[in-house]
Amino acid sequence: MAVKIDHSKCIYCGACVATCPYLALRLNEVYVEVFPDKCVECGLCTKACPTGCMSLPEKK
Amino acid sequence: MDDIDVPLIRNEYDIIIIGAGPAGSIAAKEAAKRGASVLMIDRRKELGAPVRCGEGLGMKHVEAMGIKLAPQAISANINGARVIAPDLKHDIVIKTPETKGYVLDRKVFDKDLAKDAGRAGSQIAVKCEAYDLISEGGRIAGVKCIHNGRRRDVRAKIVIAADGAESIMARLAGMKDAVSTLYDTDYGYEYELVNVKLQDGGRDFSDLIEIFFGKEWAPRGYTWIFPKGPDSANVGVGIGGLEKPNAIHYLHKFMLADGVKHRFENAVPVACKGGAIPVGAPVKEFCADGFMVVGTAAHQVDPIHGGGIGLAMNAGRIAGIVAAEGAADNKVDKQTLDRYKKEWYDAEWSKFNKRLMLRKVLEKLSDEDLNAIIGNLSSEDIDKTLGGDFKPVVEKVLLKRPQLLKVLSALLNF
Repeated sequence: MAVKIDHSKCIYCGACVATCPYLALRLNEVYVEVFPDKCVECGLCTKACPTGCMSLPEKK
Repeated sequence: MDDIDVPLIRNEYDIIIIGAGPAGSIAAKEAAKRGASVLMIDRRKELGAPVRCGEGLGMKHVEAMGIKLAPQAISANINGARVIAPDLKHDIVIKTPETKGYVLDRKVFDKDLAKDAGRAGSQIAVKCEAYDLISEGGRIAGVKCIHNGRRRDVRAKIVIAADGAESIMARLAGMKDAVSTLYDTDYGYEYELVNVKLQDGGRDFSDLIEIFFGKEWAPRGYTWIFPKGPDSANVGVGIGGLEKPNAIHYLHKFMLADGVKHRFENAVPVACKGGAIPVGAPVKEFCADGFMVVGTAAHQVDPIHGGGIGLAMNAGRIAGIVAAEGAADNKVDKQTLDRYKKEWYDAEWSKFNKRLMLRKVLEKLSDEDLNAIIGNLSSEDIDKTLGGDFKPVVEKVLLKRPQLLKVLSALLNF
């Protein structure tokens, strides 16, 4: 599992990438990519995101 | 066909610069001018876009760099700043040499700076994304990148990271504090709007940048209206990373607030932008063996207004010169390259440090404090304060609000 991005809200600004201490996010030219093997679901990116497009998966 | 090499890129350079924003392009130009072989790479297909910035730049930075702005690079000429209290009523207009400047069209401005770098002899690769650094014997020796779909290792004596707020390269080089922390970062959201009223109550604000403070509108940050023309503006907000819920929420709330909403009645957006704005101290180290970091990637951003272009260009200029000289002498160790850090600190730190302190104090003021203070200060008072001369203003404020002694004493002892 990893953080989820609502691409209908994301403006590809990279604020989440700047804030991810694990380098688990990458802004390429068209969208923000998540590397699930690096994401530890810490949630920092969900707090950083200016549009609120990121969310953690629901805990089972 | 697939095996035809992409033309114009060699396997080895004196200097590789990652990121073709203002810091990178100035560094590329200065280094190339001094005879270094330079490659500047950028992941984007078009330099300058997408913009994620308020686009304000002080005239003094343009003059210091000796650059000439094309008319198309200037969206609006700015003569001053208007600071508005949280009550949206009290304000101060500051018009000094310090507040003269421009709201740029970054798409034109950035591309022009890159063109200057190219004219000076720097090679440029667009659609070229660095994904890792080449390390060798404890020093950085080049960049691993994907250029037009082809993986390439390009070696260099010095790698200059100018990759902006994400600062991936500095982190790969081991500079752990290059990550943006919620505490030391403002997160921004901005619209470029047309049909904005830049006149209000019989006053004309079309040559002013407007800055709105207040916890209601921008906790631990500020909201801005930067004119982009007679009827258009960048209207944005930056909020502290620990604030909830997010920047877009605060921008919409502001645009609907009594006191300003009539200025946005007919406004429509032609762009939305966002981003992280590091507003704490710069990263601790600017250099490693064979490696330098410049601009927003090094958190060289004004802690008060969040502007980065001016500081970035000066860092790029110094780093470009130091790198070219180091490459020519084959001396690229941290100690040699650290001349860049020293010169940057000599030029910027005294003012930067005072602004860090001022930011800490501003964050502690309540909306009531700000309403009372902003209503009582003059343009000269603000000018002095921003210049680092805190005493006269602190004394004036304490006469009105003696309860602020504890908060403001930090500035007096500075």
